[in-house]
Amino acid sequence: MTTLILALLVGAGLFGIGLYGALSQTNLVMIMMGVELMLGGALLNLVAFWRFLHPDAYAGQMFVLIVMTVMAVEMAVGFGVGTARFRARGSVEMEEATELKE
Amino acid sequence: MTVQAGALALFGLAALWFGMAVFRTHSMVRSAFSLLTTMAALGGMFLAMQAEFLGVLQLMMMATEMAIMAIFMMMYMMDPGGLGQMEMTHQKRLSLLAGIVGGLAGLALAVASAWGPVASRVPNPARQTHDLGIELLGRSMLIFETAGVSILVAMIAATTVVISRRHE
Amino acid sequence: MNLWLLLLILAGAYLVAVIENWVVTGRLRLLAPLLAGIALLGRESLVPRLPDRLLFETAPPLLLAAAILSMAVLPLAPGTVLVDLATGALFVNAALAYVMVAVVMAGWGPDAAYAMIGGWRFLGQLVAYSMLIVMPITAVAMRAQSLVTTAIVSSQAPLPNAVAQPLGFLLFFLAAMAVAFLPPFDLPTASDLADGVFGEYTGARLAILRLARLVLVLSLATAVTVFYLGGWLGPLLPPAFWTIVKTLAVAAVMLLGGRYLPRTRSDHLLEWSWKLGIPLALVNIFWVGITLLVVQR
Repeated sequence: MTTLILALLVGAGLFGIGLYGALSQTNLVMIMMGVELMLGGALLNLVAFWRFLHPDAYAGQMFVLIVMTVMAVEMAVGFGVGTARFRARGSVEMEEATELKE
Repeated sequence: MTVQAGALALFGLAALWFGMAVFRTHSMVRSAFSLLTTMAALGGMFLAMQAEFLGVLQLMMMATEMAIMAIFMMMYMMDPGGLGQMEMTHQKRLSLLAGIVGGLAGLALAVASAWGPVASRVPNPARQTHDLGIELLGRSMLIFETAGVSILVAMIAATTVVISRRHE
Repeated sequence: MNLWLLLLILAGAYLVAVIENWVVTGRLRLLAPLLAGIALLGRESLVPRLPDRLLFETAPPLLLAAAILSMAVLPLAPGTVLVDLATGALFVNAALAYVMVAVVMAGWGPDAAYAMIGGWRFLGQLVAYSMLIVMPITAVAMRAQSLVTTAIVSSQAPLPNAVAQPLGFLLFFLAAMAVAFLPPFDLPTASDLADGVFGEYTGARLAILRLARLVLVLSLATAVTVFYLGGWLGPLLPPAFWTIVKTLAVAAVMLLGGRYLPRTRSDHLLEWSWKLGIPLALVNIFWVGITLLVVQR
């Protein structure tokens, strides 16, 4: 039980750090790093639940594969959008992205 | 303390340390490689928890993804080397509060929940890989195909957004 | 036994250095790598003016570690393998990904323009070769019905994969040359970039980088042997001998073959890989799947 709690604690810690990063950074790429950390914490929790509670249910590992897929997909589309923005405006700073503000 | 708990603690500490280093360093490329080390430490934790296929997959995918993140950081940030020591954050106190609250909520849930009996026996890695494949292509075939199609859609979308229109 | 295997890897890297020397100069000089190594260790070790110290120092040991790790899961003989993983074929791939991380670090670390260009060019090269490494391994694992490297060798007892899956063999061979950045794919260490990524390193660090590159070439030659040429399978001689002979032959062909071709341009490499290479790799997987389901039933 202590190893399960240990893994969950690390997952919670990574989530907290990722949340801090995603909210405090002004640059798109750094925000994406925060999101990656949050997803990494979620992955760790999933694997810990699989290993310590239901090692015979492979749906847990399936879920991990899907979250990894989501990480890759989010990075791809995010960088595509970032590239388009950089070409249009010259920077990817989120503080300058105020076109839709009233 | 068992070997597994020791390994988990060591890799977990490395993951948290390098996770914090991502946002504390001024050099953008070092930030990307710090995130790579965090993800590699996560892969180590998966291997310590005897999920061998997932651990190796995590190590492989994250190396490539974080290196790509490094090149994008270098392309789009004004000070990729970090020698200018610029301050690139906003709403610091709010985000610090949100991070601490989120982390503590996760902590509280982890410690306070009744998780039930802990399984002691894990299938051996070759068996796991085989059964994961059966699960992937049998029961979860629809999910697998949806993931494949969504990756394809993401590739097409990212390429379309970035391709510049030809001026005839 | 593990120590013997590590020493064998070192000896293999030495032989690859001798072969490379023969390919370049045309003469077989058995002591040349040893003398060159000693000379390199004795030379002055210059550090650039303002390097990213952490990345500059980490790159050579990381490249060496990645090369040795990718070698560790490949078997020499039935039962003689440094690390027997259940997902061996995938682990080779994971270790080779860290080769790219090390080269990018070596490109950014020295705070030099040419090194940086070499490093980022290698990242583009990775986008080109990484699918072509994984997909043929997938087809090979399909035939063996396992990711364990010893099982992959044993599954080639009737017919080696080079004959059964020729398209995969060709693609994997070319992709292996691209991973080890051998000519004509030597974009990161190109002579038009003043030796690119390796250019700012001197003395002991350069010795480690060169050793790491030799171990990398050896590891990829072993991977081609294990996955496609039937590893230790062979008629009369002991199994380990067959592995060593096949590996050195593949290394010789890799080192010799590319020297007479001009270096590929980054965009041409990407174009050929994604427009021709990956469809062919998918056709290979499709073909292998059909033959396995139809013929073997």
